[in-house]
Amino acid sequence: MEKLTDKFLWKALKEGDLNAFSVLFESYYPDLHSYGLKISKNTALTEDTLQDFFLYVFEHRENLSDLDSIAPYLFTSYRRFLLKVMKKNNKLTHTDFSEDTFVDLQFTAEEIMTEQETTIFKNKNLSILLNKLPSRQKEAIYLKYYSGLKASEISEIMGINYQSVVNTLHKAIKSLKEEISIIKLFKL
Amino acid sequence: MIKKQYNTINDFLEDVSFKNWALQNNGTDINFWEFWIANNPEKNELVNKAKDLVLGVSFNKEVVSKEKVAFEWKKLEAKIQEKTKAPKASKSKVLFLRKFSAAASILLLFSLGFYFLNSNSKITHKTNYGEILNIKLQDGSDVTLNSNSSLSYYKNESRRVWLSGEAFFQVDKKIVTQAKFWVITKDLSVEVYGTSFNVSTKQEKTAVFLEEGNIWLKLKNGADKKMIPGNYISYSAEENKILEDKNIFNPIIKTSWKDGSLLFENLSLEKAMEKIEESYGYSIVFKDDNSKDILITGAVPITNINICIKAIEKSAGVLIVKKENRLIISKK
Repeated sequence: MEKLTDKFLWKALKEGDLNAFSVLFESYYPDLHSYGLKISKNTALTEDTLQDFFLYVFEHRENLSDLDSIAPYLFTSYRRFLLKVMKKNNKLTHTDFSEDTFVDLQFTAEEIMTEQETTIFKNKNLSILLNKLPSRQKEAIYLKYYSGLKASEISEIMGINYQSVVNTLHKAIKSLKEEISIIKLFKL
Repeated sequence: MIKKQYNTINDFLEDVSFKNWALQNNGTDINFWEFWIANNPEKNELVNKAKDLVLGVSFNKEVVSKEKVAFEWKKLEAKIQEKTKAPKASKSKVLFLRKFSAAASILLLFSLGFYFLNSNSKITHKTNYGEILNIKLQDGSDVTLNSNSSLSYYKNESRRVWLSGEAFFQVDKKIVTQAKFWVITKDLSVEVYGTSFNVSTKQEKTAVFLEEGNIWLKLKNGADKKMIPGNYISYSAEENKILEDKNIFNPIIKTSWKDGSLLFENLSLEKAMEKIEESYGYSIVFKDDNSKDILITGAVPITNINICIKAIEKSAGVLIVKKENRLIISKK
């Protein structure tokens, strides 16, 4: 259902419609902000790059290709945009700029709900277990359950097919469950 | 719900009612799935896997505030305007264009009106009290019309509809025409960018609730108002003001009627009976004032007055007598 909206907005944006662009900005800013903060761990950097990124999108709107769904485009391009800036800033201090060292999301205990009835994990150390997962699994978990994206959108962002997204998520959840049952065993 | 075969994990993941069951969101879906699972024990493992994936990890989202987003937008907007060459000239151009387009659209409306009067028949759907109607428009959009309501449009122009009463709209996602969808009421018109929303004119106002997508309201007084999902806005042209502007976190409260039930969540009996009055057309008589303040929570059917009365009697602990076209409420 979102697709029609996205298509409309994107088309209007390409024609220079500022109203459409403001709708787009307001609907995606919060999620991109959280995403940028997770990657950069730096609020000022996140907000500056977001300003520059959106300005860049608007200025280059005529060259944008037609999109059915905007989220994957915005997440992917913003991620690339942010990484570029981070690499530039870190050039003097680091020698290894592989993406994996940069995009390694970390979760805090406060971020994770374990009290709710619907949650399958009631373990207090869930954030520690989450942080131990491979970075790809962490990113999939983040995009799915934090940003609330669809599997098809995540597949575009992470550059893997739909089934691999489902498998990656499933692997992550499964190993979390196993870790927790092991912890429980030792406590007994 | 039952049309589909569920053979792979994706079949479950793609299914809205399955998600509702996993999240324990919707009574009907919960009943359906409990039944389905009991009857398909061989699918147990798949069901559990899919359920785990739906539930996943629950996060406390720490989202930037609306004010912050608005602030950042202003900043960006200023930068964009700065970059646009010769801002003064373009501004007056925009103004001129605006005036021009307003005049043009009035002209267009008139000519369309004449055109339609001459060559195009008007279609009207009407519902009685206690009746809900599902309408599929020519462009594929779905409309659910609540009781005692009417929806009209011209045969060749089903993307512009007039509403009195209440309706829930879902604009079909397969249609990729550029034309916008319009809903017009006595107080305002809704310009649709997005897809699913509820419009009600049942009281002396028009109330719009947006479930998904984005829409613009054009109020009778000329003001524009943008809505984002979860927004609930009501406006009265007569009073010339916005009466309510809030966020609703549980959308089912505003849209449950389209599935045939009214949901009450800690609502006073007085308010609840107003809804009953709107749906069934009975006038409400309270024998004592104390009963008005009883809070009730639960769902009642919208198309069966007898069951509805029984449900409210039970939930509120009162006695309701149906007499001609009145419902008389008294203490037990």
